[in-house]
Amino acid sequence: MANIIDIVAVLMMVTSFAVFSLRQYRHSILAYASQTLLLVIIFLALYFKYGTHELLIWAGTAFVIKVLFVPLYLFRLVKKLGLVVEDEPVGGFFISPVVALSFSLAVAMMLYKVFIHFSLFQDVLPLFAASFIFMMGIFGFVLRNSFLKQILSYCLFENGIHLSLALMAYSSHELVEIGILTDAIFAVVIMSVLAKRFYAAYGSLDTSKAVNLRG
Amino acid sequence: MDSLVLILTVPFVFGVIMFFMPLQFKLLQKLHIVFSVIVSTLLLSAVGKVVNAEELSLFHNYIFLDSLGAIFLSLIAITGLLVNVYATTYMKWELEDGHIDIKEVKNYFALSFIFTWTMSLSVLCNNIAFMWAAIEATTLASVFLVAVKKDKKSTESGYKYIVLCSIGLAFALYATILLFSAANGKISGEAMLYTNLLANAENIDGMALKLVFIFALIGFGTKAGLAPTHTWLPDVHAEGPAPTSALLSGVLLKCAMLGLIRYYAIVANGVGFDFVQTVMIVSGTLTLFIAAFFLIRQHNVKRMFAYHSVAHMGVIAFGLGVGGAIGLFAALFHCAAHSFTKALAFCSTGNIARIYGTKDMTKMGGMIRIAPLTAVLFGIAICSLVGVPGFAIFVSEFLIFKAAAIGEQYLLMGIFAVALAIIFIADFSHFFLATFGKVEGEVVHNSEMKLGENLPLIALAILIVTFGVWQFDSFTFLLDESVKSIMKK
Repeated sequence: MANIIDIVAVLMMVTSFAVFSLRQYRHSILAYASQTLLLVIIFLALYFKYGTHELLIWAGTAFVIKVLFVPLYLFRLVKKLGLVVEDEPVGGFFISPVVALSFSLAVAMMLYKVFIHFSLFQDVLPLFAASFIFMMGIFGFVLRNSFLKQILSYCLFENGIHLSLALMAYSSHELVEIGILTDAIFAVVIMSVLAKRFYAAYGSLDTSKAVNLRG
Repeated sequence: MDSLVLILTVPFVFGVIMFFMPLQFKLLQKLHIVFSVIVSTLLLSAVGKVVNAEELSLFHNYIFLDSLGAIFLSLIAITGLLVNVYATTYMKWELEDGHIDIKEVKNYFALSFIFTWTMSLSVLCNNIAFMWAAIEATTLASVFLVAVKKDKKSTESGYKYIVLCSIGLAFALYATILLFSAANGKISGEAMLYTNLLANAENIDGMALKLVFIFALIGFGTKAGLAPTHTWLPDVHAEGPAPTSALLSGVLLKCAMLGLIRYYAIVANGVGFDFVQTVMIVSGTLTLFIAAFFLIRQHNVKRMFAYHSVAHMGVIAFGLGVGGAIGLFAALFHCAAHSFTKALAFCSTGNIARIYGTKDMTKMGGMIRIAPLTAVLFGIAICSLVGVPGFAIFVSEFLIFKAAAIGEQYLLMGIFAVALAIIFIADFSHFFLATFGKVEGEVVHNSEMKLGENLPLIALAILIVTFGVWQFDSFTFLLDESVKSIMKK
């Protein structure tokens, strides 16, 4: 079972890099949906390994909300605004993924060593993957200029945290997961509404144009 | 019905009712005031029960009200009520001037109750994951209180607010998960409950706790406006309507600070106070000096007060860093003193912007002749902000000096004094620019506001002065009990 979880965790890392790097919005959203599906598979694998009932509920809610609802909602936004390719990120399309990848790997190398001290699940690779995905999300916010990519980055680090929760504390109450997921839905919806307003005001989703309030 | 159940339902229900009200300003105005009074009464009645040593909890202790929470709940009740009452006047002006339409006013009033509900929830959560969710929800509920209009500046402020706070709070969520994981199985009882975590903090892995505190500081510190992740705050406070800025600065920042204080208590009791105090001193000093530097350069009155919010969050962090019973007492007292002061400061900017039609202080002047009451209220806010004796903020800043002196932390006293001196000079030069001399720009509204319109501001000014010269036993009791709970004495 640990091998399956290891393989899926590596695939989650690959998809997080894809969410970050792919220039076409539709491909990026698809990569996010795939990543969340992999997350659901990890929940199920952990459920079969430990028999913790909460994990089954997590898998169900994550599937409905993050594999179906959020990607469909974002696809709708992309269609409504007629978006195809994202705006130029900080440092350009080539440098930005390289910076994010190297720094995320470095931070994950440090963090997993702390996590393994108290994690319920004592396998290195998935713990490493959880911190890596979280950091890719953070770098997505910092380095990508597109508002939509920043929404996807929010979803990305939320997946990283979700994976950490499943690995380190899968016995926590399902209400906790529902509370966090509810916030995530509202955050995506509200950010999307703001993205529409942003597009209407600036004619694009390039947040580097938002410089009216500096000082 | 239980007080906590009412607190957790009534503001939400009022928010929903407001959404469905007809588009008549007079009706919306009256309802907003009546609902605000009811909500504040409910909140204060719960605080009163804590003062009378009653224990309030719900849902297997997932929701509770302790003395620490009661301090912040009373800020939501008092500052929230006065700002909400002022908001009805401010929105009337905005409506008359055509800056906003009636539908936006209705949404604003409705959202302000949802916002109050999320803030109250964040204060009442004993479950640390729920607390995080509630603090994140405060951001979501207040985005459209900031971005009321659909123009570029308003949209930009809303964007910066939600994006930067979400990044910051991601770290806070990670801190929550790490803390639970580190405590799960190591402590007796549920490891998600703050009370259990605090009671058994010494059993949790020290290295994990240190990492948890760093993550919590980045997360809740971003939301509270601590440097270097404070950058959203000046833009958001300067761009939002005056009552929103007053609520964000006067109440919301304190709710985020409460989250950090709860982590401070757990980690301090787990690994010792030295670690958390050192981290908070670094954070507080950095915040104070960055804010002081930017304060000197500001000419926009709202932006100036926004940097003040950053500076005073730095003061609270500095108080937590100096530590000891007096330092903690001072930090908690500062939360209340700054709440009243900053609410008055931002509400007075609403009056000032109405008089001059601008927020640029270089285009003001002669306010003492045009609107003497507003000038005096503005002056009271400034005097309190720079720590003039007799005003609320002086008390907490003096106590921080006292705590540092008792602990023989003379270097910290010097650093604190230099930062406060820079703020003092910056503030009074700006105050004189706007209040005295001749008018540099144009005057749009050449008279004082009506007395009724200024009443909430007068009430805030009275609170600032009374808290500066008087000791309220019930409030002091809450502060003392909170300090004891943090220090586990």
